[in-house]
Amino acid sequence: MASVIVCHACDLAHGRDPVLPAARVRCVRCGAEMYRTNGASIDSAIALSLSAAVLLLLSNVYPMVTLELGGSFRATTLLGAALALYGQGYVPVAALVLLTSLLAPLFEIGALLYMLIPLRRRERAPGQNEVFRALSRIRPWAMSEVFMLGALVALVKLAALAHVIPGVSLFSYGALMLVLSALTSIAPGEQFWRWVEGRHL
Amino acid sequence: MTTGRALGLLVCTACRATLRAAGATPCLCPRCGARVHPRKPNSLATTASLLASAALLYIPANLLPVMHMQTFFDVEDDTILSGVLTLIQEGEWPLALLVFIASIVVPLLKILAMTWLLLSVHRGWRGSIRARSRLFRLVEYVGRWSMLDVFAISLLVSLVQISSLATVQVGVGALAFGAVVVLTMLAAQSFDERLLWDADDRG
Repeated sequence: MASVIVCHACDLAHGRDPVLPAARVRCVRCGAEMYRTNGASIDSAIALSLSAAVLLLLSNVYPMVTLELGGSFRATTLLGAALALYGQGYVPVAALVLLTSLLAPLFEIGALLYMLIPLRRRERAPGQNEVFRALSRIRPWAMSEVFMLGALVALVKLAALAHVIPGVSLFSYGALMLVLSALTSIAPGEQFWRWVEGRHL
Repeated sequence: MTTGRALGLLVCTACRATLRAAGATPCLCPRCGARVHPRKPNSLATTASLLASAALLYIPANLLPVMHMQTFFDVEDDTILSGVLTLIQEGEWPLALLVFIASIVVPLLKILAMTWLLLSVHRGWRGSIRARSRLFRLVEYVGRWSMLDVFAISLLVSLVQISSLATVQVGVGALAFGAVVVLTMLAAQSFDERLLWDADDRG
């Protein structure tokens, strides 16, 4: 079965090349990236996931932006953005913001740690496949990079009204965005299954 | 050019493993356990209905205010477009362009492009398949950036809800706009790219 690989985007069948440690394989007909491996170690993926977890924690603890308006200060946090929408009765929009800015990245980090830590010890996490499938469904809804740009737009708009002070959370969330994109490029796809198969699980 | 379908092979949409279709479909992926269909079930009908809902909501999303701002001096109802115009007046050209593209051009482009793609599959067009598949990938990639304004509004509201100088409230347009983003993303996810190539592969 491993001798043929079918493109997920156009259904063209390709003879599979010898398995390379690091490769980015594109479909010859439609140009879709069929898979990518980079030989990254499972340890580096775990390290990145742990850094992402710490950064997400920092982003929630510290204020994102503080506003100085006529001598009084107002701060908001990552969660505060969603809560404000909830407080004004826009529950669906609040849920969308909560999911895309906080819950989806949180699930991404948690799911990777849940699967990778046992895998490192040559064990299979209970329900590994269910978690993997949930992750592949939830990943498109993690939008930390869009949120960052949205925060930038909000800062510029507010700067016209009042004095704005960027908070720790803004920087930690920016770093989280970078770590998550590094993580996405190594951990979840073909490379993950290489780790699984390499441990004969 | 041989296709997976001709060889009786399927691709798992969750982990992208290639597997042999065993008897009745959907079958289970031996690697990750997902249910695998030869093509996404009811792809055209699902995509078309999500897209129609998105197109309908695109109108209130742009016409209704997404934000009310009240200061000592005036009351302002901002739609997405008037928010862009305000940014231009403040001289923030690059940011105005960014918001204009992310909030107005991208959703519209997405709705038009997806409609064209659906139509082309429905009619079985065989020309420019590669270009159409590129267009689909572009649409799929840029869709998420439409959330930009929703995030900006949520931060603005949480900072300036009620203070001594100003009151900022979310407008009902934000609800419609959020729905457009979600619906167009779901539409792109339910569209099966392979349908574009099937017209060609039928020979």
